[in-house]
This record gives sequence, C-alpha cells and structure tokens, in this order.
Amino acid sequence: MNAPDRYERFVVPEGTKKVSYERDTKIINAASFIIEREDHTIGNILRMQLHRDPNTLFAGYKLPHPLQYKIIVRIHTASQSSPMQAYNQAINDLDKELEHLKKVFQAEKIRIENISL
Amino acid sequence: MVGVSYQRFPTVKIREMKDEYMKFELRDTDASIANALRRVMIAEVPTIAIDLVEIMSNSSVLNDEFISHRLGLIPLVSKKAMEMRFSRDCDACDGDGQCQYCSVEFCLNVRCEGDQTLDVTSGDLRSFDPMVMPVDANIGKDFDEDSVDPSIQKKSGIIIVKLRRGQELNLRAIARKGIGKDHAKWSPAATVTFMYQPEIHINEQLMETLTLDEKEDWVESSPTKVFDIDPKTHQVVVVDPEAYTYDDEVIKKSEAIGKPGLVEIYPLEDSFIFTVESTGVISAYQLVINALEILKQKLDAVRLSDDAQENDEQFGELRQHLGGVL
Repeated sequence: MNAPDRYERFVVPEGTKKVSYERDTKIINAASFIIEREDHTIGNILRMQLHRDPNTLFAGYKLPHPLQYKIIVRIHTASQSSPMQAYNQAINDLDKELEHLKKVFQAEKIRIENISL
Repeated sequence: MVGVSYQRFPTVKIREMKDEYMKFELRDTDASIANALRRVMIAEVPTIAIDLVEIMSNSSVLNDEFISHRLGLIPLVSKKAMEMRFSRDCDACDGDGQCQYCSVEFCLNVRCEGDQTLDVTSGDLRSFDPMVMPVDANIGKDFDEDSVDPSIQKKSGIIIVKLRRGQELNLRAIARKGIGKDHAKWSPAATVTFMYQPEIHINEQLMETLTLDEKEDWVESSPTKVFDIDPKTHQVVVVDPEAYTYDDEVIKKSEAIGKPGLVEIYPLEDSFIFTVESTGVISAYQLVINALEILKQKLDAVRLSDDAQENDEQFGELRQHLGGVL
C-alpha cells in the first residue's frame, strides 16, 4: 500500500542534483561527494581507482542505508592535489579503461570468429 | 599533475562463444571492475518486456492479474532496447508510454472452438513491430507452416494459459524498455559469474614421500576433480585447476596426514574467468558490450557539474588569499 515506487531506486528526483560536493570544514583537502541513485557498482570502482592515485591519502564510500538510494564517497588527498581533482581523474581513468575494454572485446570477437571459420 | 594517468589496460580472451553463452578471461584489472560488470549485466542492461496489459475479455480459468504477470515474464527479442527510450523520459508521448519511440504494442486474440484443450502460447502474441517478438517465435513458425499433424503444431512457445471449448482470451499489451533493477522480468542475464583464476603449486619433493595409496586418498579428498595420478609415473598432476572451488579440502587433508604444505593454492587477484548466460533476448556477447556501454554512461552521469567546480575554485582562491595574509 505505502510501498515506494520501484523507479525511486534509479530516477533522480526533480530538483535534486546527481552529485553534490561537500568540503570538510576541519581538514584541508578532504571532501565528501554525495552521489544520488547510485550503489556499489559505481562506489566500489571509484574507490578502487582512487586507491591507485598516490596523491589520495584516503578514499572510501558508503551506502548509508539500503532504502536511501545514494552513496557517499569521501576523499582525502595530499596537498599537491585536491579531492575534486582526484575524483575527476578517477572518472576519466575509469572511462578510458572501459573504452579500452570495449575495444579489446570487439577485437577478440573478430579474432575468435576468424579462427572458427 | 595534468596528463598523469593511472589507467589500466585490461586484456580479454574469449574461450567459448555461442549465441546465449560465453566464457572469457579478463586480466590485468581488479575485482571492482569485474564485479561492476557483473552487476550491470544482471541489473542495468535494458531489455523490452510487457509492462501494461489491457484485457478485453478473459473467460479462462486464470484471473486477469495472473495472466498479465505471465505475459510480463515472456522474454522478447531486445536488440532494439539500447536505442529505445524509457517511457518516463520520452517527450513524444508525454510519458504515457504509448508511442513508437518507447513502446511496442502486442495483441492476442484466441478462442477455443474444438473439444480439445487449446494451449495459448507466446506464439499467439501478435507484435506490431517485427523487431520485437517473443524469443522463440521463429522456431514455432518453422513447425507450423508445413506440418500436417496438429499435435506438432505450437509445440514450441511458452504456454500462457489453457482454454476449453467456448473460453476465450482477448487482450492488448504494451511492451516497454526497462532494467532488471526495476523488475527482474527486464533482466537479460540468466547467470553471470566470475571467479579468480587459481594458481596451484604441488610440492613435488614432499609429494614423493607419500605412498601410492596415500596419494590416491589425497587426490580423492578434493570434491571436484582438480588432481589426478599419472598412471605411468605415479605422480600427482593438476588436471583442471579451474575445477577448484576454493574449498580448502586438499589443504585440510594434507594437514590431517601430517604433511602440511603439500600443495599451495592461491587466487590470481587480477585474473578472472567469466561465464555469461543470457536469457536469449540479446546475445551473450552483446550483453557484455552493452554492459560496458551502460557502465560508461553511468560514470559520465556522476561527473561533477561545472557550477560545483566553479564554486570550489572560488573557495580555493579565497583560501589561498587568506593563507597569504596569515
């Protein structure tokens, strides 16, 4: 009866930002990114990619509650970088990795088909 | 800092590729990418499924809701799904979801006239779009056209309901694009699994201190056939490392017979073996490609908006300024 609509899980409500940024007031170069309507799929790859960046001192994500459809990514960087820079870099690198993966996949398919012919 | 990249270059090796099944190796990446890929394939690759049913008449033994639910679960060929629009963000029909860009109409009209029970199957669904139809529709047609024997007719197809003399079912259905996160009927994946590739090292020296009986006993202790004994040399050999299920049984056995370290097994943490089975709505290969595309779109969606960045830069300047004064 009062169950929330199923689409609530993946449709960002009107007037809400997909990503909001919140700088830490006490620690410099630390910030939280609140990402609406995302889950472990995005949270975990972002976190692991951020761990590859030597300027990132801390990167973690949490799903605060299973019925709150958002994740919080917290980043703490060294002084020569900034959380925003690290965040953008991680997304760019992941994007390139997936693009690469798609290319090698297509190439591999062609290779397999030529063998079987 | 500009120009620095921590990107990886994963490699892929396809081992087996059929229409609805695929097995491949993914290397030089980590578990987060492998798991994201698996999660997207199961829950976020779009397909088409019946979402709205208008029943004109139904005198069958099943109630309207029951039949609607069954219709929703029928797999429909979804090659078009990636290009289609979601009804909720379609501007052509103001979100009522009944236009050519976001929906496909089906109708079904069957009445049983004979004394024999009539099966209503997915083959009775008439699609208004030849690109979107029940996955097994073609198999059914090949049978029907020439076959004389009515018992062979309609052997394929998914049974929706059975009718007796005088009963009828007449309905109109709207199929829409959706994702598995919304409802499992939209999931294109039957199973998607991945495992770490195991690396198995047998300590040959220690193994040779075992008698043949002990070796046989040890080989048998593995619930899956990972090891075997060479009939000529009587040496223990690894026959299928991937059959290992990380159950630790052989390691426990080694300890039990007082020879710990007989074998060392560890997972290669950057190598994954994937198996992908699709439901047939798209090919297994297309499922993987679509998943990569969707994951990329999701990443693009979580990029920071420009105004957020500007705000931060201003704040940064202020901080620098203050830092200079102090």
